[in-house]
Amino acid sequence: MKDPYEVLGVAKTATPEELQKAYRRLAKKLHPDLNPGDSKSEERFKEVSAAYALLSDPDKRRQFDAGEIDSSGAERPRERYYRDFAAEGGAAHPYESRSGYADFTEADDIFSELLRRHAQEARRARGRDVIYRLPVDFLDAVNGATKRLSLPEGGSLELAIPPGVQEGQVLRLRGKGAPSPGEGEPGDALVEILINPHRFFTRQGDDIHLDLPITLAEAALGGQVRVPTPTGSVILTVPKGSNTGAVLRLKGKGVPRPGGRGDEFARLKVMLPLEPHPELEAFLANWKPGPDYDPRRDLQP
Amino acid sequence: MIIAKLEFLERARLDRETLDVWIEEEWLIPTRTATDMTFSEIDLARAELIRDLTRDLGVNDAGVGVILNLVDQVHGLRKALADVLQSARERRGRPGAGASKGERR
Repeated sequence: MKDPYEVLGVAKTATPEELQKAYRRLAKKLHPDLNPGDSKSEERFKEVSAAYALLSDPDKRRQFDAGEIDSSGAERPRERYYRDFAAEGGAAHPYESRSGYADFTEADDIFSELLRRHAQEARRARGRDVIYRLPVDFLDAVNGATKRLSLPEGGSLELAIPPGVQEGQVLRLRGKGAPSPGEGEPGDALVEILINPHRFFTRQGDDIHLDLPITLAEAALGGQVRVPTPTGSVILTVPKGSNTGAVLRLKGKGVPRPGGRGDEFARLKVMLPLEPHPELEAFLANWKPGPDYDPRRDLQP
Repeated sequence: MIIAKLEFLERARLDRETLDVWIEEEWLIPTRTATDMTFSEIDLARAELIRDLTRDLGVNDAGVGVILNLVDQVHGLRKALADVLQSARERRGRPGAGASKGERR
C-alpha cells in the first residue's frame, strides 16, 4: 500500500485545489481510455484514482492522517474501460471513425484495399438473432394457424404456424431479428413453439390419442358413435362385444406430416349409467353367464 | 447484451436529462427501436469515460466532444494498423511466397 500523498506527488499539507490539480495532471497522462495502447497505465491510473478518492474526501483524509484507516479499499474497483470495447478486432460499433487515416486510402492501393475490405466486413455484419417463446393451442399446432406475436419492445410479428408443428420446434423468421449495426442484414427472429395441452386429445408423435366413453349397450351390441378428431367429428363403428381398453384406429385422422397424416387412436371406456337402473340391476341379478366368463382369470397367482 | 434505458441510467449512474444531452451531442449513440432506445456494454463504458472526463478531469462540454472524436480516431487507426499487421503476417506465413525464399533466388 503506497502513501497516497506520494502517489499523487503532493505534500501532506496540500490544499484541496492542489490535490485536484495534481490528480488531473496525472489522470490525463494515465487514463486508460486516453492511452489505448498502454497496458501499464491502467494499474497506475487505479492507484492514482484510489489515492485521490481517499484524499479528496475531507473525512477520509482526516482519518487517514490520524492513522485510523489505511490507504486500501477506498474506492470500488473499476472493471471496464471504453478501450476494452472499442479495441481492434472487436465487433463493429457506431463510434468507429476513419477520419484518422481516410486520406491514406486515396493515395495507397494496398492500404486502401485492406481498409476497404475491413470496412465492408464491418458494414456487412449481421444483426443478432432474437429468441421468442410462443404458446400455441393444441389444435392450432395440429392444423396450423396464423398467429400474431407481440414484441416486448413494441410492434408485432405475423407468424404462420405450419400444420403439425411440434413441441419445442423453432420457427425462423428471416430478417425479423435485431438490425445490423451497419448496412448488413438484420438477424432472424427465432420462435420456439410451446403447445398447450388439450382437454381430451393427447399427442404422441404424429398420432392423436383419445379416451372414448361408450355405453354398455354400444359395447355389448356394437354401434355407430360420433368421435371428435382434430379436423371435426367422424362416425366410428364400434364392433359388437368391445371391451374397455380396446383401441380403435382412425386412419389418417392424426397430425399432418410430410406425405400424409398420422392416425387417431380411440381407447374405449365402457360407462355404466350414472344413476341406479332397477331394470338393469334386475336383469343382472338373474343373469347366469357361462363358466367361461371369468375376467380375473389372468390374475390367478 | 442489450440494456434497456432504465437499466442503463441506473448502471451508468446518470439522470434522464444528462443522458438526453449526451445523446443529442452524439457522445452516445444508442440503438433506436420503434418506440424506445437500447444500449450495449460499449455505451456503458463510454458513459463512464465521459463521466471521468467531465467530473474528474475537469473537461468542459466542448472538450468532451473533441476528446471523444480523437479517441474514436485513435481506435480507428489502431484497427487499421492491426489489419495491416495481420495481412503482413499472413503474407509472410504463406508457403512458397515467403520473402526469404524470394531473396535467395
